[in-house]
This record gives sequence, C-alpha cells and structure tokens, in this order.
Amino acid sequence: MAVCIAVIGKENSPKYVSCLHSENELQFHYKVHTALDVVEEKLSLAGKSNCDVRELYLGLLHSTEEHKIFGYVTNTKIKFIVIVEAANTTLRDNEVRTMFRRLHAAYTDVVCNPFYIPGDHIVSKKFEGVVRSIMCGNS
Amino acid sequence: MRSSVSVILSSPAPDTRMSHPDYDQIAQDHASILILVHHQEGLLKPKSFTKIWDKIRRVNHTKVTDSANVTRQVYVRYVKEYPVESNDWGDFQTHRRLLGLITVGQYETQTDLNEICRVHESLKVRYTSTLYDSRCILFGNENEQLKTPSNFKSLPLWYTDTETCLDLEAQVSELLNSLFWVLESKRQLFSGVSPIMSRMQRSRSQERSREKLDRVPLLLAPFERKDIVGLDLESRTNKKKCMGRVIKHLGDLSLQGGVPHEALQHYISAVDTLRSVNDWLWLGGAAEGLCAASVVVLYPGRWRTFPIQRNASLPPSPGKRRPGSIGPSSLPPGSLTPAPAVMEDAPKALSPEGILRRYQEAIQNYAKYQSAGMIETEACFKAAQIAIQQGCPLQAASFLKNVVLINLTLTEQEKIQRFLSLSELYTQMGFHRKASLCRRLAATRHVSDQNRQPDWTQCYNLMLQALDGHRLSLDPTERAGGGFAEGWPALQIHLLQQLVVAARRMGHSALATRHMTFLLQTMWHHLSSTEQRDLAKQLQKLASECEGAPVPLVLDTRAVIPPANLTNIPSARNFRLQDLPLHLRPQKLQKIKEDIGPFLYTPISFGSLDRKSTRSQGKMDYVWVEGDVCEVLLDLSNPLPFELKVSNMRLLASDVVFESIPSSIVLPPDSGPHTVTLSGVPKEVGELEIQGYSTHTLGVKSNCQLKHMPRMPQPSFTVEVVPALPRMEVATPAPKNSLQVPQMDTSISVTSISKSLYAGESTECQLTILNSGSQPIGLLEISAQCVLDPSQLRQVLQWSADNIQAQLPLPPGGSASLTLYLHGYAEFLAPPRNDMNDTGSQPSSLLSGPSSLPSRFGSLTSTSQPSRHHHNELSSGSFRSQISSRSGSSVGSSRLHSKLYDPSAPKVVDCQLKLKYSGGPGLEAGYCRITSLSLCLEILPSVLVTSWDVLPAETSSQFYLVLDVSNKTQGELELHYADGKVMLFEGSEECRIAVPVERCPLSKLSKLYQNAELSDTERAEIDQVCSDHVASLVDLKWVLPVSGRSGKASLRGLSLTQDMLDIVRMSPLQWEVLLNKEVAKPLSELTCVAGQYLQLGVTVQNYLEWPLHNVALALKFFQEYQSGIRNYRLDSHLAVAGAPNVLLAQLDDQGSAYHECNVVFFMPGLYKIDIQCSSNGRSANSVSSGGVVGDSPPAHTWKLIPPLEITVTDP
Repeated sequence: MAVCIAVIGKENSPKYVSCLHSENELQFHYKVHTALDVVEEKLSLAGKSNCDVRELYLGLLHSTEEHKIFGYVTNTKIKFIVIVEAANTTLRDNEVRTMFRRLHAAYTDVVCNPFYIPGDHIVSKKFEGVVRSIMCGNS
Repeated sequence: MRSSVSVILSSPAPDTRMSHPDYDQIAQDHASILILVHHQEGLLKPKSFTKIWDKIRRVNHTKVTDSANVTRQVYVRYVKEYPVESNDWGDFQTHRRLLGLITVGQYETQTDLNEICRVHESLKVRYTSTLYDSRCILFGNENEQLKTPSNFKSLPLWYTDTETCLDLEAQVSELLNSLFWVLESKRQLFSGVSPIMSRMQRSRSQERSREKLDRVPLLLAPFERKDIVGLDLESRTNKKKCMGRVIKHLGDLSLQGGVPHEALQHYISAVDTLRSVNDWLWLGGAAEGLCAASVVVLYPGRWRTFPIQRNASLPPSPGKRRPGSIGPSSLPPGSLTPAPAVMEDAPKALSPEGILRRYQEAIQNYAKYQSAGMIETEACFKAAQIAIQQGCPLQAASFLKNVVLINLTLTEQEKIQRFLSLSELYTQMGFHRKASLCRRLAATRHVSDQNRQPDWTQCYNLMLQALDGHRLSLDPTERAGGGFAEGWPALQIHLLQQLVVAARRMGHSALATRHMTFLLQTMWHHLSSTEQRDLAKQLQKLASECEGAPVPLVLDTRAVIPPANLTNIPSARNFRLQDLPLHLRPQKLQKIKEDIGPFLYTPISFGSLDRKSTRSQGKMDYVWVEGDVCEVLLDLSNPLPFELKVSNMRLLASDVVFESIPSSIVLPPDSGPHTVTLSGVPKEVGELEIQGYSTHTLGVKSNCQLKHMPRMPQPSFTVEVVPALPRMEVATPAPKNSLQVPQMDTSISVTSISKSLYAGESTECQLTILNSGSQPIGLLEISAQCVLDPSQLRQVLQWSADNIQAQLPLPPGGSASLTLYLHGYAEFLAPPRNDMNDTGSQPSSLLSGPSSLPSRFGSLTSTSQPSRHHHNELSSGSFRSQISSRSGSSVGSSRLHSKLYDPSAPKVVDCQLKLKYSGGPGLEAGYCRITSLSLCLEILPSVLVTSWDVLPAETSSQFYLVLDVSNKTQGELELHYADGKVMLFEGSEECRIAVPVERCPLSKLSKLYQNAELSDTERAEIDQVCSDHVASLVDLKWVLPVSGRSGKASLRGLSLTQDMLDIVRMSPLQWEVLLNKEVAKPLSELTCVAGQYLQLGVTVQNYLEWPLHNVALALKFFQEYQSGIRNYRLDSHLAVAGAPNVLLAQLDDQGSAYHECNVVFFMPGLYKIDIQCSSNGRSANSVSSGGVVGDSPPAHTWKLIPPLEITVTDP
C-alpha cells in the first residue's frame, strides 16, 4: 500500500527510511524532507491552538499527482511519514491511521530495546519486518 | 525611422501561446495604473537610471479630485519592461494594460537625441493599443539648443543631470493625473451598461452611454478570439455573457480608478451574471477581482511602497530577497489583520478567509482553460502572498503546490524565475526545505538539456542558496561543534555532489575542490566505504586541477566559502607532545624548594590555589628549548582502500615563532595506526601553543585544528620554551681493549664506555667534549653516580675538575678533553671459607695453628652462619614441613649474598657520569642540560691472597707477612714484592710469599695504651690502624708478562688476630737480653754447652708515656717439638738459679728495669726462652679496691718476639 515509510527524529534528521522501490530512493528522500515543512507548520499551529494533544495523526501533508504524503507525530516529536500512491483511491483515512498505529507500536518496541540509544539509526529486523508488511499492505 | 520601427515590431515574434507570468504581482496591482519606464541605454549609465527610477517610483500614488469633488487615490505601478503579449490580456484584466510610457535617456549630440526620440516613438507604436500618454525625460547640456525631430509627438522633459531634476516627481504626478482622466472617461463609458450605479452617477452616465454605447461589446480574452467564429452573438446567453463581462470590466476600471467600493459591487454582480451563463474564465476573473477589491478595501496602506531610507551599500543577502521586488510581501507573515472599523465600513467586502476561498474558486475556474495558465499562475502567487500575510502558511502552500504543474509554455529562464519566486514565497512562509528544493530545481534548470545557454555560475549560486534549507553550513567547524544529528545526510550528500559538479563546470576548480573536501570531511560517517573511496578519488582528481588550500574563498557574489580541512583522511589519534631526549632535556640549575609545610602530603594547598587555577589544561610539565628540534607524535590511520600519500605534514603553532619541519608518509591501504613524528624548532622564548597539524593529502592542504577534532583529548597543547642552551657531545676514543656495545635506540645516544681491568690495574680514559650547539658552554660540572658509595667510587674513578674548568668557556664547535682515571679497585683478600669441613682437612693456619686463624672469619660468621643453617636444615630433612618455595628463595638469596663477597669473581661497576653543562641565554635563565656517560667497568681478578699470617722477623723492628697468593688469571703472572723480589706464577697457581714489613710503630698506637678500658669500636680502630699500616707498607705489584699489563694489589682490610697483632705492633717494652754480659741479637745463633751456667740478663725499658704498675717479668723455658707442642716441663733439663719470675712494683715511663738470673742446661738440645712481661695496667688501685680479681681488666702480656733460642750442645 505504502511506497515509502520514514521515521524522522526529534531534530528532523532521518532515523529510518525505507522505500518499496529502491531505485528512486533519493526522490522519496526529497519528498519526505519537504513534507517536514508542513509537519513543522502543523505542529506549531497545534501548539498555538492548544487543541487535543492526544491526536498524533497529522493527516494529509501534501499531495502531488503521483503521491500522497501522510504524517504522524509522537509525543516525543518523532515523526512518521508514509507516502502512498495517489492512484490508490480505495485507501481510506482509517487505513492510514492504522498504518501509523502499527508503525508507532513497532517504534515503541525498538525504543524499549535497552541496547538502542534513542537518536540512533534504527537497525532492527523486527521493525523492518513491520515496515515491509505495512508497505505490502497485509496488515 | 520607419525602418527602425519595423525592426522593433518584428524582432519579438508575437506568439500568443507564449506567456510571461509576472510573479511579482500582488493583489493590489489590480488597482494600479501600469506605466513602463524605459531606460534608453547608451549615454545614460545604469547607475543614473537607477536614481531616476527611484525618483519616479517614489510617486506611487496621486490624489485626484474627480468631477463629483471626491478625492481619489490613484495608485501606479512602474515596470521596466513589459511584454506585448501581456498587454493583450488587457481586456480581461484592465490592470494588465500599459497606460503610460516614460522614456529616460541622455544625449550629447543631435544624433543621440534623435535616437532617443526614435525609440520613444517606436515604443509608443508597440503599445499603441493601450497607451494613453507618454513622457520623455531627456538629460543633456542645456546650452546646446537641440530640437526634437519633427515626428516626435510626446512631451519632452529637459534636464541637465540626474541631480537637478527637482520637478520630476511633479511631472510624473502630472502624467498620472492625465492617465487617470482617460481611465475615468473609459469607466464612465462603460458604467452605463452596469445595472448597479450610484444614483448620481447613473443620471449622468446613462445619458452618455445611451448616445455612445448602444451595443454591449463582447470582451474577449486573447485566446478566445479564434473561438468566436460561429457563435450566436444574439442569443440570450451570449448577451448575458457580454453583460457580465462588461460589468466585470467596469469593476476593473473602478478599482483602478480609485473607487474600490464601487468595484466590489460590480464584481459581485458580475459573479452572479457570469455564473448563470457558465462563463468560467470570466467568472474566475470576476472572483479574483472581488478578492483584489476586498484586499484593497480591507488592507488599506498595504501598497507597494518605496522605502525612502535605503542603504544601497548593503547587498541583499542571497536567497532572501531579490533586488527590485519591493512590495507588501516584505512584511512579516501573519501581520495582516484588517481593522474592525474597515470591516464594518465595507460590508460587501470579503472576509479574510473569504478572500482565500474566492481565490481558490477563481483558480479552479482558470484551471479549466489551458490557455489561461498565466492568469492561473499569477493568481496562485497572489493568493499565496495574501495567505502568507494572513499568517496561514498551510493555505499558502496549498495555493503553491500545483503551480509547477500548470501547463505553461515557458522558456527555461522563465521556469527558473518561477522556481525562484516559489522559493521566495516558501521562505516567507517558513517552509525552508521546500524553498531549498525550489532553488535546487531552479539551479538544475540553468543547466538542463533544454537550456541552450547553460549557465553554471547561476546554477552554482542557486545551489549555494539551497544549502540553508538542508541545514548545511559550509563551515565544517559548525558542524563539528554540534548539530551533528541534524539535517538529512542523504540529501546533503546529494546536494553537495551537485554543488561540486556545478563548481567544476563553472570553471572554478578551487571551489569544486573545496566543496568536495567539505563533503568528505563532514559526511564521512554517513558515506559507505565505496562512496568514501569514490569521493576520495574524485577529490584527488579535482585537486589535481586546483589544489585545495585552507583559506576562505570569496566568490564574485561576495559570499565567503570557509575553509574545509580533511581531518578524517588520514584519521589521527593520540596527538601527543614529546619531551626532549633525556640528554637534551633542560634542568633547572637550582631546584626551587617548594614550601610544602611540615607534612609530606597535605590536602591544604598553601597559597598554591591561584597558581593551579591559572595553569591551563593543556600545559605540559616539561619545557622545550629555543632553537632545538622538538617532536610531536601522532597515530595516523588510512581509512581508504588505496595508498594514501600524506606530505608536508607540519605542526600548527601559535604565540611563539615556530619553524615546522615538514614530513611525509605513505600510508598503505586500510591500515593503521602508524606513528608519525612531527617536528619543529621554536624560535622564540615563551609559551608555545600547539594547535594542531597540517597535512597535504589527496591534493588538499588541510589545517587540522585539534579543537575541531573529536576524540582529541585537548583542544590545544601549551609548552613553555626556554632560552637556547648549548649542546654537548662526548666522544670517547675507541680503545683497543674496550668493547663498544651498539645502542639499541639511537635517540638515547648516551655515550658509554666499557672497560675491563684486572684488579689493581689502573688506566686512563680520554674523553673529548665537543660543543655541537650554537651556544658557548660556560658551565660544566661533572658528577658520578653509582651503587658504590662515594668513597669507593673515588677509588675506581677519578678526574680532574680543575683541568676542565680551565678549558671553559667552550665556544660553539670547540672541544675540550677530559681525562678519567680508572682503577681496578678490588678486594685482594679471600674471604674465609664457608665450609668448615674443608678447613679441617688442610692447615688453616700457616704457622701458628688454630689460634692465628684469620680473625676475618669471626667477623663473617654472622653472615655465613644463617646460610649454613639453612643448608643443614635442608639436608637433615627435618625441615620438610616448611614450604619449599620459601626455603628455596631463601637459599637463593643466601647464595646471592655469598656471591657478593667472592672477590675472585669478576666484578662489574656500572657508573653514570653526569656532565651538567649550560651556557648562553639558557644559563642566565637558570637552565642546564645533563649528559650522561655510562661507564661500565669490569674488574677481573688478578691475584688473590687466600690466607695470611705474620711471622717475627730477625729484627725486632720487622716482621714477616706470609701470604698465600693465588694467581686468578689464566696466564703467567709475575708478582713483585718487597725489594726486587719477583715470583712467577703459572695460571691459577697458588704460592706462598713472605714479605718483610716494618712493625707498626707505637706512635700510631698511642691510643691502645692510653686508656686501659677500650671500647669495641676503639679496639676495632686500633686494629684498623695496624691493618692499614701493613697495607701501606706491603707493595705487591703484579705484571702479566704476556700482555704487559700491570697493577698493584692492596692488602687493605687485612684482619689480624690478637696474636698477629702482637707481632705486628711494635712492643711498648723494649727488651734487651744479655747472655753472659753479651747482647744477644734477635734471631742470632746462640749456643752454650750443657752443664755450663749461663747468665741471662734481661733489661726491660718502658717506652710508654706512663708508668706501669705491678709488672710481672717471667722467663719461661720450653722446648718445642716438630708437632708444635710446647713442653714447659723442663725440670729435668735445666735448672735456674735466681728467680725466673719477678714482680716489679712500678716501671716508670721511659724507665727501665734489669733482672738477672743464671741457668744451667743439663742436656743438649734446642731450648727456647719465652720472656714476657705482664701488667695489670695502671689501675692497680682499682684492682685492690675492686677486690675481685676477675673484674679487673685482663693484664696485657708482652713477649719478646721471637723467643730466645739457645742451642745447647754437648760439652
């Protein structure tokens, strides 16, 4: 379902980027990178409006002819970015939310690992597996 | 003139498909009159034109009182160039019409003037469809009365220069005024058709419209013209369409004419009309107009203003604002909030949110027409700007997000312009990443395949501006400091690579090298090993074109590219300063004793708190010397899979002039760490700060500052440099019999002398001292250090200090000589044998039996006994319970102990000769150097006295010292003893010699008799005196005939038993024996006949300085057998007439006593007479008073030595 999944650290540097097709990975890097602008804007708005802080899902950040970019921010300001193909019209908002929830759970597992230093690149087979399964759509 | 007009008209082929979006447009521009200010290039310099341009632009609006006596604000927008194609859109949106023209030019001659006029006229022709009025500003010499050509029909404004055109603003206002009136008349013309009119206007305009505008024209957008064919113009829909478009047009005109409230009404009406006929394009136009009018109404005072105070010397910072784009967009985002009063004033105006909604609608409508791309694009930009100013960046982003996708036929240049404008807007809304992306895309457009004129410089500059958004600073130190986790490495690498390419293609190799260096340096940890290798190779290639140097590069745009240094290639660790080699290390001449108080350690620091705090962290606790090479060690690793050549490695130092000595190294692939020595020479005195090192590798020069390198323990090292000191070298001649041991480490070039001497041998060693430095040696002190105590050392080693001092000062290059006198000092006396069993088997004493066993044994029993004890215990087996290891070790130690006392083993004396020297400024500063000379002296045994004894000599003044001398050498040895007596020994042979020695005179022994009660130490002292006496007199010289070497054996330390001492010492009592009134000489042959009486007279003289009391003189006759047993029972052999024993009450000092008796021998034989005197000392009174005899000190007994011998023969 998703073509690219990225985990961005607190300081907006990538902690994990995975693409379904690795040939144009750099392009996805740019997409995720520029989507951060919107994430930051949304976060600053959320900070001002003092709205429901429990809502971690940021919704659609950006849409182009090819892709739709969704965002999600944890309470520790870890950002998850999911890029789906714009052609996939059957995808509903709820499904995207589910993807993010699974991703969040997997990330939590990674952080729970005592050998993982928060802020490092994520190198975890289990996490990789979850990301793969999300991208393949068998949730 | 005509031809030139045609040239201008024909030059840009009118292409309706080509559109030129104006990204600088803002919503307020809908309400402005457009005026073209043309710069007639030639004599008028751009700078002058800019001045005029600024002056003109200051007139951004004018106040006009209309026919109804209402003051209107008429705004104006000036452009420097305007495409004719955009002018064609004037019907659709009237603000696109070019209404006025101002030509600015300078002339000197008539020809120049004519040319200006010609261009002005041709421009008028070009925009003839819309142009209302024009002005021509002419600069020239007033004196020359030049006239404009006849066909010039504009109003010329004559000025002499750009400074004096004071009424220029007034003239421009005047032009504006005239333009307004034309516009106003047009508006009046159309207002008749509009259903909504203010009553006053209606009455007047209806009349006019009726007479002029019978039919409502169909206004068309440029692309609609060809579609009009075949349309039913008379249909109801079309009529409504016409009406709607005209109302919209009227709104445009009203907005331009300064009546925005009226315009709002027209627009609202037009929107309704047009929506009903599905005229989407014009509906969009009307919606946009509504928005523009609302903006004008809601946000008055947000017009394009010209900043009066403008500091022209301050260049606009790159990437933030382009010069010339001055407008409300420069306001901080989110600052736009309409005043509530304004909202109430204009109930028909849209709300701020409504404006954005309407814009959205307009854009959607425009999007339905492919040919309206330009309008759509501009609308997007305008909407985005409003959104930004309203503080809704997300809305703005939504306007901008599809701008790129709008189908426009654009040249590459215009695409670049579009990206840059986008980037500008994104920057304003705080979307720096997006802005950077746009800049990067603009940069790539500059050099894309479609671009026929690739401009790498522009590309590079834009790339440079894109760095910010990627959180990339070109200063590597910023990156090293912090923010390492920030940014997006993958994108940063990509961007930097593009930057390198751009810089290289631009032809600026130095920049390319710099950026590649930066890329390798900062992104090193994010690169895979293959990337590292490839990039390093690329850098090498780039650097071959232009070498990288650690200096900031200044670009034409005045941007400064800070230096980038490679600290990862090769990667360094363990930067450590080295102390000078030991022999060059400066020492303080006088050690300052620190006042540490009464305690060795105290936690309280007495006043040293301040000193400790000022002591910097990287301060070394040793010093370097001015003018001397000092070293720093560094471990380098090569992380690259190919051979890395690092050349010109130097130290970076500051504060003190420092001359670095370059060094080079070739590091094998993937290897390390290799230790590299960097050296340099400080040229000044002071605190030297070592900040890092510089390298030259991969063609790049790098200054690796420690403070910018992680993993370095300290940001810098400080070491004190002391004034120059001389250098001294000590050369030893290579003597034949010395063995030069090659030193393992040449850096510690301590000269060593090694010599082997036979015990007792003396030799000289000539040392040459060479001043190899540049300073004179003014001070030279020599001292020796050894395990031996100083007195012993003096026996082995001596030199003449005076001789050395006389040769000072030693100028640079000069030399001096020093003679060392070496002596093979050794013990020549064998220790007593440990093994008692052995002593039993052979006679331990030579002559006098066990009593004369060398008393040395006694002194050693205390040390030898424990070892024997161990032996016994081990051998007896009763010691099994003890831990074997402990006993083993103790045995070992005891063996070692006994070995020390074995004089027959070769002895090695290791000695350090320290030469402390200084001179020049270093001496004044109180520093010196110490050169050590190691002296290894091996002392081989020559002769050894295994045992000794004394014998009385023939004369009483002498005695014989009998020595068992063993030759411990392997060869023949000649021993010279006494006067001219020589003995030849074979190797390892032992011989006995007798040396006549003078007895120890009483003068040396005065202490012995002075006080009867002698303490142990005094007794030992006296023994020592005797021993020394013997040693000084016995002169044993040995010669090795084969090698010709010779030496002296000393008997120092000879220990004598009490019996021996009696012989050695001169007796205090002098004996004179008279036989039959004749003096019997000692050792003379005395004979008498058996049965004949012999008169024996003995005279005893006291040579002591005090009288002796109770002196018992005894004559004892005895016979001695061969076995050594004495027989004193001679009653049957002789008879004595007179007392053999007498007691003398007192023997005065220097006084003498005589005793006489007669003796008759009955049988022939050898008789001996022991004549002895015993005294219980001077303290006779003490004995009687003490009462106890045992307590009194033992009486000393003096004997006549040798005993008198009388041979009795048969009669």
